[in-house]
Amino acid sequence: MFKGPAVPANQIHDFHSPISPEGLYWVTPVPSQGLTFSADGKTATLQMANVPIIDQPRWPAMDAETTPAFLDFKLVFTAADEPVRYEDAARQYRFEGLKANAQLEAAIRVPSIDFVFKTDPLETSKCDFAVMGSEVNGKYYETTKIGA
Amino acid sequence: MARDHVSRLELDRRRWLKLGITSAAAVSLRGTLLAQSEAQACAPPIPQNHEPSNGGTCPYPIPWLDKNGNHNQAAMPDVELSSIYHFKGKLARCNGFHGMGTDNKGNRLAWGTPTTDYSYMAGEYWAARQAHKAVFAHT
Repeated sequence: MFKGPAVPANQIHDFHSPISPEGLYWVTPVPSQGLTFSADGKTATLQMANVPIIDQPRWPAMDAETTPAFLDFKLVFTAADEPVRYEDAARQYRFEGLKANAQLEAAIRVPSIDFVFKTDPLETSKCDFAVMGSEVNGKYYETTKIGA
Repeated sequence: MARDHVSRLELDRRRWLKLGITSAAAVSLRGTLLAQSEAQACAPPIPQNHEPSNGGTCPYPIPWLDKNGNHNQAAMPDVELSSIYHFKGKLARCNGFHGMGTDNKGNRLAWGTPTTDYSYMAGEYWAARQAHKAVFAHT
């Protein structure tokens, strides 16, 4: 949760995947080797390179112009010990897992404006909320127990 | 002569009126045609060679998340964390990333907002009337 505008007034870039024709927001397919887990399953690493994205600084304006860009990133989730369960039968979703820590490092290129940005190393990033686990929703909600 | 002048004026006025109505109709027609052409682009393709018609194989969003016309719901406790509907599998999500970085001109810039979030969804989703295995990331 947060207070204040989702998009800060001093934002100069907004990088994300395009919205799919199906209406899916900012979701991109991951190559099979892009997501790996530690042997104990408590650490997950999502790493991708040259992901085609867009820079849309005036998002969420309807006429916010886009510029093609590319993203390299490494995202590491590390599970903590506190279990969480979020479920809503009316909305047909159930998530079971653990609170987690997540850290991210990324590099972004916008070739048309000769802009390159690289974050500081992974260890320096922070996030406010992270969980990792398993989820079922929609048609799988009634028929699947998590872990099955 | 005066009568001719009056009737010419009436003719001109009628012509202008007619032109005005025609223009308005043309604008309205153009709007309708544009709307029809946009709607046509949403028409499902007619299968050729007796192929089945089961819809697209790409995942689609959580229907009820559209209350704000925006499926990008911020991650937090007790909310739907998947971006994909009819999904079962491994999922992790994080929100509120922030940090520092440097651009190619040496400028130090802050990155991240309260809604800067990432996730992975690895497992099975349902589309085109069948199950598909895939991994997706919300970036």
